[in-house]
Amino acid sequence: MAYLVMFHWGWLLASFLLGLAMGWISVVQHGEGLSKVTSRWVAALIVVLVALAATRVVPGRFGYWLDLGLILFACYLIGCTIGALLRNWVVSRQRARPAA
Amino acid sequence: MYGLFSWSRKWWPGVILLIAFWAIAAWTNTVPLEADLAARSTAALKDVVLDKTQIAVDGRDVTLAAEAFSQEGRKNALAAVEAVPGVRLVNDETRLVPEAKPFVWSAERDVTRVSLSGSAPLPASKAKLLDAGHAAINGVEIVDQMGLARGAPPRFDDAASLLLAQVGKLKDGKVTISDTSVSLSGMARDLGGREAIAAALKDLPEGFKVATNDIKAPPYIFQAYKDPVAVTLTLSGYVPDDKVHGAIAQAAEHKFFGEKLVDNLKSSVGAPSGFAAAVIPALGALARLSTGTLVVSDREVKLSGDALYEGAAAEIRAGLGKDFPSSFQYKPEISVKPASAPVDPTVCQQLFTDLLSKGRIRFEPSRTTLDLDSIALLDRLIEIALRCPTANIEVAGHTDGDGEDGFNQELSQKRAQVVVDYLVKAGLPASRFTAVGYGSTQPIAGNDTDEGKAQNRRIEFLVR
Repeated sequence: MAYLVMFHWGWLLASFLLGLAMGWISVVQHGEGLSKVTSRWVAALIVVLVALAATRVVPGRFGYWLDLGLILFACYLIGCTIGALLRNWVVSRQRARPAA
Repeated sequence: MYGLFSWSRKWWPGVILLIAFWAIAAWTNTVPLEADLAARSTAALKDVVLDKTQIAVDGRDVTLAAEAFSQEGRKNALAAVEAVPGVRLVNDETRLVPEAKPFVWSAERDVTRVSLSGSAPLPASKAKLLDAGHAAINGVEIVDQMGLARGAPPRFDDAASLLLAQVGKLKDGKVTISDTSVSLSGMARDLGGREAIAAALKDLPEGFKVATNDIKAPPYIFQAYKDPVAVTLTLSGYVPDDKVHGAIAQAAEHKFFGEKLVDNLKSSVGAPSGFAAAVIPALGALARLSTGTLVVSDREVKLSGDALYEGAAAEIRAGLGKDFPSSFQYKPEISVKPASAPVDPTVCQQLFTDLLSKGRIRFEPSRTTLDLDSIALLDRLIEIALRCPTANIEVAGHTDGDGEDGFNQELSQKRAQVVVDYLVKAGLPASRFTAVGYGSTQPIAGNDTDEGKAQNRRIEFLVR
């Protein structure tokens, strides 16, 4: 894992920043996004992919690409989470200020 | 926390861009990553002894194909690659180097090269043996046809290195190790090489034994060439030691007269027993020839050349006397020198005088037995006598002044008669020769010195 991170740190950083931006937007974006059912399917798909990666059953280059996709996705998710929480924090402060 | 779930449902658009990142990252990084892992795996195997190592990387999975020299080495190799950071899986395609039974290694030398073949236990052993070969055998190409195999006996490298050093002493031949048995065959480069190799084999590592040692020594050669034009006797080849060398040189001085001795003999071990006893009579026979070559090769004595007259040729062909060792084989190739043109008796006298000034007919002290060393001189005298068939010749015996006159006269008379008998036996008519003994009455030098006495003890040929 450490080797993968070291080798692809540029791409991981890009994914993180992309996630940060996406998370930042998502807090104030209107609309419902993915339905609950779709979200579950997506979550299930990700669990399956992680399981495949963990058990190392996908051979050769496909296995490497799966690992790479998953750590990019993980960085993206971390970025989204941080971005969303930051935006939420900023928005809550803005809302609190006029009341004060 | 509910907010986070709610927001996360709106994160999917970024995933489209993320997939693009993923595709580009995979496109650009796969080959460099594989190359990096291959390099790291190769570096990790640097200290593990393997043969035919092949590393193939597919994604993060490494396929290791190699031949290991032990189960432990095989395990170590796999562990080393598994420990490389970034490697996900190692596909084990290693196997053990085949075991050779029996474990055979050989080094064969011919004129131009040394070929190393058979099995070596490790790549390092191969390199060591090649180095040992280069060190032992200068200027000859070394061809490596060795394979690798398990099953070498302990201390194989030491044994093989020692044998390679012996190959340096061979002209041609082969050394073989089969398990712990050592076999040698071929021809030693130098005299004494066979003995040197036999001595070196005593240092073989414990456990190894010499099964066969068929190293042959080069023939032990002694040569003598009598050159009538340059008036030289050239000795070349080998003698066993300084003592025999001295004895041969002294015999040559006695048996030959007038010829300058060119002594190119070298000392070396390896002479057949009875060497001196064979060479010295053979030199005596060579001395009787007008021109000739003596070659003693191991136990074969080959004498070729021209005798001075038919009788001498027959005697030389017949053998080298009772002291010639029976273990030696005598091969004479004797022809007779064409008879020289007849000359006038006065010329004959001149030839006798010249010849007898160069050499003296010797007898055993105070006796009338001819010294065998004088035979060559007698042959020359006979040859001259044959050139003047009409001349009558007085063979005059003289002694030094020691002893009583009566005894001296009788001794000189008998000695002169012995010479005449020898001439008659050689085929000359007895009627042409008269033996006369003068005792010490006609000295040609003073009898007060040994040198003067030696000059006075003489046989003269006088044409009457």
